Amino acid sequence: MPDAPETALIAAPACRVGDSADSRVEANPSARTPTFRQSRAHRLMDRWANLAFLACSLLVVGLIGGILFFLASRGLAAFLPMAGNTGRTLAFSEVFLSADWAPSSDRFGILPFIAGSLGVTGLALLIAAPTGTLTGVFIAKLAPAWMRDLMRQVMDLLVGIPSVVYGIFGLTVVLPLVSRTWLGEAPASGFAVSAVILAVMIVPTIVSLSTDAFESLPSSLDEGAQALGSSRWQAIWHVLIPAARPRLITAAVLGLGRAIGEAMAVQMVIGNNPQWIALMRESTDRAPFLRALFTPAATLTTELVQELPNTPAGSPWNNVLFAMGLLLYLMTMVLILATRRLGHRKEA
Amino acid sequence: MQIRFLAQTILAGLLLATAAQAQTVTVMGSTALGPIVKKAAEDFMKSHPGVQIAVSGGGSMTGLNQVTSGGCHIGISDVFATPEQDKAGVKNHNIVVQPFTLIAHPGVGVKTLSAQQAEQVFTGKISNWKEVGGRDQKIVRVIRPESSGTRAVQKKAILHDHDFSKDVLIQDSTGAVVTAVATTPGAISFVELEHLEKNKTRIAAVAYNGVACSNEAVKAGKYPVFSFGHAYTNPAKLADPKVKQAVDGFLAFILGAEFQQNVLKAGYLPVDYVKSLKTQL
Repeated sequence: MPDAPETALIAAPACRVGDSADSRVEANPSARTPTFRQSRAHRLMDRWANLAFLACSLLVVGLIGGILFFLASRGLAAFLPMAGNTGRTLAFSEVFLSADWAPSSDRFGILPFIAGSLGVTGLALLIAAPTGTLTGVFIAKLAPAWMRDLMRQVMDLLVGIPSVVYGIFGLTVVLPLVSRTWLGEAPASGFAVSAVILAVMIVPTIVSLSTDAFESLPSSLDEGAQALGSSRWQAIWHVLIPAARPRLITAAVLGLGRAIGEAMAVQMVIGNNPQWIALMRESTDRAPFLRALFTPAATLTTELVQELPNTPAGSPWNNVLFAMGLLLYLMTMVLILATRRLGHRKEA
Repeated sequence: MQIRFLAQTILAGLLLATAAQAQTVTVMGSTALGPIVKKAAEDFMKSHPGVQIAVSGGGSMTGLNQVTSGGCHIGISDVFATPEQDKAGVKNHNIVVQPFTLIAHPGVGVKTLSAQQAEQVFTGKISNWKEVGGRDQKIVRVIRPESSGTRAVQKKAILHDHDFSKDVLIQDSTGAVVTAVATTPGAISFVELEHLEKNKTRIAAVAYNGVACSNEAVKAGKYPVFSFGHAYTNPAKLADPKVKQAVDGFLAFILGAEFQQNVLKAGYLPVDYVKSLKTQL
C-alpha cells in the first residue's frame, strides 16, 4: 500500500476504516483533494457509521435469536417442570403422537394441526407449482414483449396483496359458490378451498422466481434445441425446464414457506375444527379422501391465532401453543435451509 | 433559540408534573366488554377530573393474567377467574349481564328448541333438522374456539357440560360466526343477543324452551341463558391508597343506578335484573 499511486487512494472506498486509512493519509498529505478529504471528522464518521451498521445487524441477529429463545423457553415449559407453570407437565408422546385435542379436558394431541398444516400446504403447492412454472415459461419465452411487461407488473402487484383480502374473497365468494355448485349446499370449508386460496396466494411468488430462472438461461440452449429440430414444446420440456430445475425448486420451496406460515386467509376458510382426524375416523364414507377435502380442519397457524390470546399464561394449554409456534419456526427454518442448499447446488 | 428551548422544557415538565398528580387507573381485558367500560371511563373522568382511566383490550385471559400479576388495576373478563387466579387473591365484581341466544340460518324451518333438543343438537345426537321438526337438512354446528368465553357459557348452559360434537365449524369471532350462519344452509350457533338484533335480516332467532331471548324475558326470570361481565381487582397489588380510592370509585360508578341504565343501550342488562337468580356463568 505505501507506494500506491494517488489516484488509487482517491478511489479507495471510504468504508474501509482502520489503521491503514490513517497511515495512508499521513504518508500522503497531498491526497487531501476537495472532493475526498480524509479529515478527522470524516474518519470519525466512518467509524461511527461502521458501528451503526454493526449494531443494526447485531440487532437483527439478536431479534431472531431472541424470538427462538423465547419460543423455546415457553414451548419447552410444556414438557419440563419450570417456574411459572400452573398445570401438570406433559409427556412428548401425548402431545406429538396423539390426535385428540381438547385442552379444557386436559388432552393435548397436536397431530391434527401438524397434519393439517402439511396437508393444506402440500395441496396448495400441488396446484401452484405447475401453474406457476408454466406461467414462468410463458412470460420468459413465449409472450410478446408488451405482455411480458404487463404480466410482470401484475405478478408484483399480486405478491403485495394482504392475505386477509384473499381470506375475505374465499369466505364470501368461493365457499358459498363451491357449496352451492357441487356439495348440495353442505358447507365447503376444509382443505380443498383453503388449498386453492393458498395456491392463488403463492402463485405470484413462484411465477416471479421461475420467470427469472428461465430468463437467466443462455439463449443458446433454446436456439440449439430448435436448430436440432425440436418443436417449441419439446425444447421447453426437454431442455429449458431441466436446465432451470434447481431454481424452479427454490421457487417452489419459497412458495411453500409462504404457504405454511399463512394464518389469516386459511383461518377464514378452513373451518378450524381440531377434531377433524377423529371425525374422519368415525365417518363411514365410501370416498374418505374426497370427504376429507371438504371436512372442516385446522392447522398450526390457525389454532395459534385463535387460542393464544385467550389462554392463561403458564398453563399447559398455553405452553403447548408455544410449542406449536416453536415447531412452526423450526419447519420454516428447515425450508429456508433447504432453499439455501438447493441454491448452492445450482452453482456447482 | 435557547430561551425558547428552555421555555419548552419547563412547559413540558409542568405538564408532566400535573399529569403525575392525576391518578391513572389502567383497565385491560375483554374486547367485548371494552366499549361499555370505555364509555363508563369517559363519564367517570368528566365528573372526577383528577382521575385518568386508560382502557385497553387484549382478551379476557390477558386481563385476568395482568390483574393477577399487578400489570393493570382492573381486569375485565367474560369468564370467571381460574382457581389459581382466585388463590392469588383476585376479587370479582359482576358489572353487567349478557344475555345469549340461539341463532340459525333462516331456511331451517325451526323456531324453537327444547333444552334437551338444544343439548342434543350440539352434542351430535341430533344431526338433521327434520328430527326437530324442520327441513330435511344436515345441521351445521358453528361454534367459537375452545378458549372463548361464549363457548364456555354455551357448554355450561346449553350442553350442561357435555362435550361438543366433533363435527363442528369453528369461527374466531362473533362477527365471523354470524356471517357463517347467514351464508351456510342448515347452520346453527349461539351468540350474544345484541348480535341477533343487529343482523335480524340475515339470521333467524331460535327460542329456547319456547321462550325467545329478550331483555324482558331475562328480567322476568323466564330466560335462563346469560352470563356476567366481570371486573377483577387484586387488592394485594393496590398498595397506593389514592389509586385504590380511584379504582373503588370507578367500580362503584359502573354499578351505580345511573350508569346501569346506560348499559341497556349497549346490549347489556343491569346487574340487579338478575339479582334474585342464581347462575354460575
